[in-house]
Amino acid sequence: MSAFVDAVSRARAGLSERAADVPSPALASRLEALRSDGLAAFDERGLPTRRDERWKGTKTARLNDLSFDRVGPAEHVDESILDDPRVAGFEADLLFVDGRLARASANRSDLPPGVRVLSLAEAATEIPEFVTENLGGLVDPKTDAIAALNAGLFEDLAVVTLDPNTRPGRVIRILSLSTGADDAPSASFARLLVVAGAGSEGMVVFESATVGDAPGFTSVVSEFHVAENAKIVSAELQSGSAARVHVSQTRASLERDARFASHVLCLSEGLVRSEVEAAMLAPGGMAGLYGLFLGQDASHHDHFTTVEHAAPHCESDEEYRGVLADRSSGVFRGRVLVRPDAQKTDARQSNPNLLLSEGASIDTKPQLEIYADDVKASHGSTIGQLDDEALFFLRARGIGESTARLVLTRGFAQTFVEGLFDDSARALVAGRLDEALGRLETTLQNAPTEPGA
Amino acid sequence: MSEAPLVSIKNLHANAGDTPILKGIDLELRAGEVHAIMGPNGSGKSTLSNVLVGKPGYEVTQGEVSFKGEDLTAMDPEIRARAGVFLAFQYPVEIPGVANNYFLRTAVNAVREYRGLDELDAIDFLTFLKEKMKLVEMPEDMMSRAINEGFSGGEKKRNEILQMLLLEPSFCILDETDSGLDIDALRIVANGVNQMRSPDRAMLVITHYQRLLDYIVPDHVHVLSGGRIVKSGDKSLALELEEKGYGWIDGVEEEGADS
Repeated sequence: MSAFVDAVSRARAGLSERAADVPSPALASRLEALRSDGLAAFDERGLPTRRDERWKGTKTARLNDLSFDRVGPAEHVDESILDDPRVAGFEADLLFVDGRLARASANRSDLPPGVRVLSLAEAATEIPEFVTENLGGLVDPKTDAIAALNAGLFEDLAVVTLDPNTRPGRVIRILSLSTGADDAPSASFARLLVVAGAGSEGMVVFESATVGDAPGFTSVVSEFHVAENAKIVSAELQSGSAARVHVSQTRASLERDARFASHVLCLSEGLVRSEVEAAMLAPGGMAGLYGLFLGQDASHHDHFTTVEHAAPHCESDEEYRGVLADRSSGVFRGRVLVRPDAQKTDARQSNPNLLLSEGASIDTKPQLEIYADDVKASHGSTIGQLDDEALFFLRARGIGESTARLVLTRGFAQTFVEGLFDDSARALVAGRLDEALGRLETTLQNAPTEPGA
Repeated sequence: MSEAPLVSIKNLHANAGDTPILKGIDLELRAGEVHAIMGPNGSGKSTLSNVLVGKPGYEVTQGEVSFKGEDLTAMDPEIRARAGVFLAFQYPVEIPGVANNYFLRTAVNAVREYRGLDELDAIDFLTFLKEKMKLVEMPEDMMSRAINEGFSGGEKKRNEILQMLLLEPSFCILDETDSGLDIDALRIVANGVNQMRSPDRAMLVITHYQRLLDYIVPDHVHVLSGGRIVKSGDKSLALELEEKGYGWIDGVEEEGADS
């Protein structure tokens, strides 16, 4: 038996009745079905291993050996968490601590009618039918054990709904923190449901972080239902301690002429598995999948993306940028699936990587599965080091070598930052990124260089 | 002028990689002077400029270079730059993702700190930058773009001169700054360079063509060949070279390939 599975069994034994206070019988039974199906699927599949095709890029042994003492928040949530600079500086509409709502912001009152940002309890009262209809609709627990476990153990939920033709007028922000101590590792299960009505447009920033070292496990499952002609931008910011295993699973479905862009910033120092899967189900859809990951020390990042072209005349654009330092390792797998009907598909994918240390590694693998014949598809990946011509140029202008190295690394990441079409999101991402790069000073000083192209 | 030279190069030998290129250069530049170095391809002109700014891959094997009385070869490239040595590159690099204005401010402040001046904040820097941009007729939108990315040849060279204007070096080296420029761009670049001429600054202008020297009139002209200075004169030497090529000079190892 694995430590992880043991911990899950203990957690389940301690679960209380959770659906009792949901007033809508339909939603209550939906939640109950989701949870029991999830647990059953987890039992059936067991933890993912590297023999699992979808998971073969992840160092699953680390997951297997992971234990935790509790699921959800500690009995007494330390109020000082609310003073955490992430909390203070983020102005989240909803703040979750270890998977449970800790604070809902009064700022939500500035959202226009038809735009809702709600916790599960609020949604169960205000829009139970929305949740019943959409929750879990994009994630089949039978296909993935961790998604199944999330369905089985999640307690709370962030729900964002945009009525047809509405716009929030500002970025919607959700913050999810994981806590824990060395002697009390925790598991948190966070969940996000976004339902964008026809013609609506909005941007959701979801940040998941650990407080302090917080060893344990974090699972995030996000679902985006993007209706006809709607446009949704998702920015997901992940950071976490070396002792944390973080699994994030995002699924989006796009109806006719819908647009969806996912921007994943991954700064975790531990083990990360990040999945983004976008399916274009009707003509005219456009999906953009963008990522920036920064590995350091012994961290492991596995980015697994899938773009599904299920209908003709859809377009996808994907760029994941990797920066790997120290002994960290990264995996990028970009699956592009073009179904037989999806003629006139235009799919682009690229994965540039920057290796800052001899001991760092990246495994990059595009995976094109094309079953239509009139398709434009391009992909490319590069692996490089800092450009010594550029480094010398900066030094020749008086910039110290370690600063110059930082400037070049930051420059490599800048495309990602600029891709965010919102100033506040860009500033937030840039701030997180600079903080993380600041930790790399010693590594950057020793980073090998190579002649420019 | 009895003052010590600003730059003194004595018996300089240097390798590019493992290949000996410079074979004993002697040259002194006093503050206020403009020296032009001309010479056929492969004579060592670019190696000389690279050695002076400390580019990795170039090794001084013999001789010395002093700048303001200090041993230049012992300094890291960034220290040379802060101390006042500047090379306008023949082929400026493009650096995607690094905005020009951010880069320029970082460089200006690194140099100012070394010289004991206060850091310029964003507003003060912008004022300073705009003033210098006018001198090289640089449009404002080029500041928010990445360093040299998508710039034309002329724009890159103007950007080099802009950096020189901002960093206010006391020893300016221009490595074929005129190559590939049309007459209008050449006029703009030369104008920027002439703004920098001052009694406390020396310039080393490396060029293939006499044309640039119509705009930046040198005090001294040297011919470099086979890694040595084989002839020196005043500005009339440049005109003579333009007319007759390099073949008539004793010690020139090959014909001027580009003239």
